[in-house]
Amino acid sequence: MKLLDTCELLVTLARKAGAAEAEAYAERTREASVRVRDGEVEELHQASSKGIGLRVICGQRLGFAYGTDLSKDGLKGLAGKAVALAQGAAKDPANGLPRGAQLGAVAGGEYDPAIEEIAPEWKLRAAREAEKAARAEDPRVRKFDSTGAGDFLSQAAIASSQGARGESRASYAYVYCSPVAEADGQLQTASWSDTRRTLATLQSPEEIGRIAARRAARMLGARKPKTQRVPVVFDPQMAAGFIGGVSAAVNGLLVHKKSSFLGALMGKPVASKEVTLVDDATLPHGIATRPFDGEGVVSRRTPVIEQGVLRSFLYDATTARKAKAKSTSSASRAWASLPSIGTSNFYLQAGTQNPEAIVKGVKNGLYVTAMLGRGADVVTGDYSRGANGIWIENGELAYPVQEVTVSGNLLEMLRGIDAVGDDLEFRASTASPTIRFAELVVSGA
Amino acid sequence: MPRKSKASTRAPLLPLPLVERLLSAAMSRGADFAEVYVERNTTTAATLDEGSIKSAQSGSVTGVGVRAIRGAQVGYAYSDDLDEAALLRTAHTAALIADGNREPGPVNMSRTPLPTYYQVRTPLASIDVARKIELLQQADSAARAYDRRVKQVTGGYADQTREILVANTLGHLAEDRQDLCRLSVQCVAFGKNGERRTGFYGGGGRVDFRFFEDFSPQQVGREAARQAVATLGAVPAPSGPQTVVLAPGWSGILLHEAVGHGLEADFIRKGTSLFAGKLGEKVASELVTVIDDGTVAGGRGSINVDDEGNPGERKVLIENGVLKGYLYDHLNAKLTGQRSTGSGRRQSFRYAPLPRMTNTYLAPGDQTPEEIISGVERGLYCRQFGGGQVDISNGNFVFEISEAYLIEGGEITKPVKGAMLIGVGPEALKNVSAVGSDASHDPGLGTCGKDGQAVPVGVGLPTVRIDSVTVGGTGA
Repeated sequence: MKLLDTCELLVTLARKAGAAEAEAYAERTREASVRVRDGEVEELHQASSKGIGLRVICGQRLGFAYGTDLSKDGLKGLAGKAVALAQGAAKDPANGLPRGAQLGAVAGGEYDPAIEEIAPEWKLRAAREAEKAARAEDPRVRKFDSTGAGDFLSQAAIASSQGARGESRASYAYVYCSPVAEADGQLQTASWSDTRRTLATLQSPEEIGRIAARRAARMLGARKPKTQRVPVVFDPQMAAGFIGGVSAAVNGLLVHKKSSFLGALMGKPVASKEVTLVDDATLPHGIATRPFDGEGVVSRRTPVIEQGVLRSFLYDATTARKAKAKSTSSASRAWASLPSIGTSNFYLQAGTQNPEAIVKGVKNGLYVTAMLGRGADVVTGDYSRGANGIWIENGELAYPVQEVTVSGNLLEMLRGIDAVGDDLEFRASTASPTIRFAELVVSGA
Repeated sequence: MPRKSKASTRAPLLPLPLVERLLSAAMSRGADFAEVYVERNTTTAATLDEGSIKSAQSGSVTGVGVRAIRGAQVGYAYSDDLDEAALLRTAHTAALIADGNREPGPVNMSRTPLPTYYQVRTPLASIDVARKIELLQQADSAARAYDRRVKQVTGGYADQTREILVANTLGHLAEDRQDLCRLSVQCVAFGKNGERRTGFYGGGGRVDFRFFEDFSPQQVGREAARQAVATLGAVPAPSGPQTVVLAPGWSGILLHEAVGHGLEADFIRKGTSLFAGKLGEKVASELVTVIDDGTVAGGRGSINVDDEGNPGERKVLIENGVLKGYLYDHLNAKLTGQRSTGSGRRQSFRYAPLPRMTNTYLAPGDQTPEEIISGVERGLYCRQFGGGQVDISNGNFVFEISEAYLIEGGEITKPVKGAMLIGVGPEALKNVSAVGSDASHDPGLGTCGKDGQAVPVGVGLPTVRIDSVTVGGTGA
């Protein structure tokens, strides 16, 4: 049976079992990957999988059940279970499925048939090439944590009693390399990867291996600097991690519960003028681009911060109803869980300075290339993370440093961004160019 | 002593003749080892928010993972389709790692007798969801009653009944039922001038539902509320090297990050851990004895059997500061001529197993917590902790402190805001200068992530003093 038909059947069964509203979301995936070590296959992994989740509302009470048995008996069992579970939840008038014009009754998604046809030999070759290039780049790279390549295909479908009806397909291919460089008894690891919706746009495996090796080798000899307040530059990957932390603060549910440091600042300047943050599920070729969100609401582009001014929070249908706002099509979804608010392609818009110029502008400071820990408290905005990187002296990347933390407060950090690079690249669904903070606390010796 | 479990009287998750056919299929191209892993995981969860039960959820997933190994090469495939044809296809896919044809011999499986370290009589899946919801409501009321400044309370209850069957071509066959539950509460306290502080507490383990009669939901709610209220008015944490005293329990995350991951045998075999090749060397202060123990009664990380069919064990990793052993799964043990320590674990049938920790703790010392604190002229007392992370090659590790106080003149004084501790594993452990007699395990909240796989773990630590750890605050 087609996935969409299975969803529609489950919705019908749930209505029969007593649900006032019902929504089924199903996925079928196929994944295959290869990992290599010293040019030989280390692991081949291949699987297909499927699952379905059912959300029901009975007398304003919410129930949810999931499973992998898509037979009619299996679906009947799910319908009965979800309706029974709803009896345990509290009545909430905000419970309700999205309906009407906001639904995207569509089929679509970014799908590259070339990824479906990737042969195992291609992945093996790509992984070998990445590993070989990493070794060739620097003689101090002799070990690897892992190197591999893979592909992932998925189909999703949604149907609801309120008129949602959609099907989407997605494809990804990826190559990654994590070499370990070694000198004078010190080990340093780094990794580099690329994930793309279309095979033709994937970075070459050699390039991935070379970049990964350079990132590991340049950390050799890292020392611990003194504790000080200095300008701090985040490379694009670390900057993406930083805006990922900010994304939690624009989650409409946390805002509604007064549990976000940005909650009371709508329409106010919350960041420097250089900062424009966007959530865009319609971005061409974006990793998280989709025709509709996890509850069938048609995808859109939402500016969250524009030139430093807070413009929008992110909502799913239920939270929007509570907060008297509109869904921003921000329901993230997997078949085994209820929808929850999340970002799609979330990025900091590129600025005009090239990254070298941003580093040049620092007399004494830190260039961060790797971080440890979660770091950000979305309620208070307090921020502290472990960091590795390169110390900047007189505008030059001078020597590697490790075992430090960078600390601040997210709101003050957003306001203190004094340079945004022109080097925005979508290597993952959250992306950023290089950014510089005017001053942060770097704790070390 | 563990109780011996009764012989299983229930039907196996997959008929044993089919398991044998799958093993043969996985060996058919010349692999030298094959394994079939069958899992049925039934979960129940409920969340409470804004004073009411937001949803109740449940589901069940069954699947089979097949692994074929030839030398150091692994083929892995899985299926959630349980009909024989689909499973045989899965086994043949895993077999592709080898390249040939071989007539595999018969597999004579015999059941591995297992002790039981769990404290579960009634499967959690069979407890009425209404009783689980009641826990959340009681915790919520207790948190709100603790202090009027507690305004936001979010609670979560989750349990799973995970049944596994592991069979391999060495003839091992093991079956286990691993129940696990967890109740947790997060609070936000609202202070003056828009100040907000959070608190988080909870617990559980491989325990019977009656666990919550002693570990009461009221106690969970009150403790989360206490943390949030206690830290209102906190000043910025200091930055730079400090003497820190860690309160007992969840602080064991220090061991998990600073040494535990670096002793996992995959990193050791690849030579990517800074602990590789250091067996017998002094890697910590002699006050430090670290144990990884899968046999703790009711522990969140406890396992009668690992996900490769090897019994859970108690392993001494570091004894009086000297490195004694690593954590081995089947593959890394075989490739390095060692024996498995029962450390092969996986998130689900969708993943090949990796060497992992179970419950990791520090053996107690002989000082009282009061002695340890009073000996500190100026430092930081860390009472509650968040998550942590480690880079196993350079040994840099961090962990979050969520509730901390200054120590001034041997006394605990002002609360400070949350901060991060950062260090390098062996250096931090060499700086351990006092170990308390008050050994304690965490209440049962921990989940460890590695290579995208999450598994439940436990940690434990007595009160410990460490000299010169870098604290990542924003204050002077």
